[in-house]
Amino acid sequence: MNNAILIVDDMEINRAILAEGFRDEYDILEAENGLQAIELLESNANIAAVLLDLVMPEMDGMGVLKKMNDNGKIVHIPVFIITAESSQKMLMDAYNLGAVDVINKPFMMNFLRCRIGNIIELYRHRNDLEEIVNEQVERLNKVNLSMVETLATLIEFRDCESGEHVKRICGLTEILMTAVSEMYPEYYLPRHEIEKVVTASILHDVGKIAISDSILNKPGRLTKEEFEIMKQHTVKGCDILTQIPDIMDNDIYNYSYDIARHHHERWDGRGYPDGLSGDDISIWAQVVAIADVYDALVSPRVYKSAYDFDTAVRMINNGECGVFNPKVLDAFNASADKIKFKEGETV
Amino acid sequence: MDLITELGELGVNTDEALTRFMNNTSLYVRMLGKFPAAAKDAKVTEAFQEKDYEKALAAAHTLKGVTGNLSLTPLFKAYTDIVALLREGQPEKAEALFSETIPIEEKIISCIEKHS
Repeated sequence: MNNAILIVDDMEINRAILAEGFRDEYDILEAENGLQAIELLESNANIAAVLLDLVMPEMDGMGVLKKMNDNGKIVHIPVFIITAESSQKMLMDAYNLGAVDVINKPFMMNFLRCRIGNIIELYRHRNDLEEIVNEQVERLNKVNLSMVETLATLIEFRDCESGEHVKRICGLTEILMTAVSEMYPEYYLPRHEIEKVVTASILHDVGKIAISDSILNKPGRLTKEEFEIMKQHTVKGCDILTQIPDIMDNDIYNYSYDIARHHHERWDGRGYPDGLSGDDISIWAQVVAIADVYDALVSPRVYKSAYDFDTAVRMINNGECGVFNPKVLDAFNASADKIKFKEGETV
Repeated sequence: MDLITELGELGVNTDEALTRFMNNTSLYVRMLGKFPAAAKDAKVTEAFQEKDYEKALAAAHTLKGVTGNLSLTPLFKAYTDIVALLREGQPEKAEALFSETIPIEEKIISCIEKHS
């Protein structure tokens, strides 16, 4: 438990009085000026409150408050201004910088102990609650992710696949999305957004659960009619996702929806279901599209055996699997080594 | 007569101070022992002589806090007024008040030093 009080005052007499008042309940740390106070705040994780004088050499009390705002410590550690100051402007400035209370010198020790003790209790309680909430959010995120993964595994069983396809798509999406984002500023996504796209890619084929076995697992080419039904997995995927929006975070839901619908669109507008072209297709759907095609090529399927890495790369570049955004293709080719390594790892 | 009683006769509110010091008389006496040096180090006289009123304000401010905490009531009142006068831009009045305060401060200091 945080059980130290940091006393900051340039006059030893003032520090001694405060130290005496709190010694029985708290560990006491003392600083003669603001700089020493900042050092002690950095090196001690158990400070429950700061008793701060305003007028001091080196760095004054306002300097300490500003620094604690910069490093965020003001949120978790209550700061009491203990001062002979009566200038209202200066006291208001201290409050505006996040001081919880201003106590005038000379103070009465018994009241001071009550005021400070109460606030320390309040902060402890709040810090504990914050920790509990963070733990719960983390647990909730884990549970949600495992529900998403469970759903994806169910689809794979239907699809007679090993369960590795989804993992590989995640890995490929991560590599490609990162490369595209680094190489082309217009497609830049911050790291935490890339992570959401990767999670969302898990459900790209969720609509396949609504496609009948005879089509889904047909050995050999599909007829035109069968292919039309197969194409429906994109739209059906969206229908399913709309029924279960609450199992994931809102952003991931939006990415999932977009990817499920558009991961078979092509740059020239000849994909499905909406025939979107160019950058009307989101960059994440474009990335998952190429990841999906690559993985289909290098994996054995009921109607074909697996192609080797070089053949798969050549077929994608030749446009044998549809036309892709040249920039995404560049990122794909630039990441070839990483992709090949990844495949060696998982197969 | 002991220090506490004698200071009481000079107008020091020793009861209030002892409450502040959690009835730790020896700590109060020890901290009183630090006051003469603190008053000297503050260099209020020099600041007024140099007409450096910023410095005078900072020094008077520090002594206001210390005399308040030690309940050296006559000095605390004087320094409170000196700080206020300097803030209001009346350095001559502040200096005059400080001159009146010096003999009181010297009495208290010599009393503390006699007992140390």
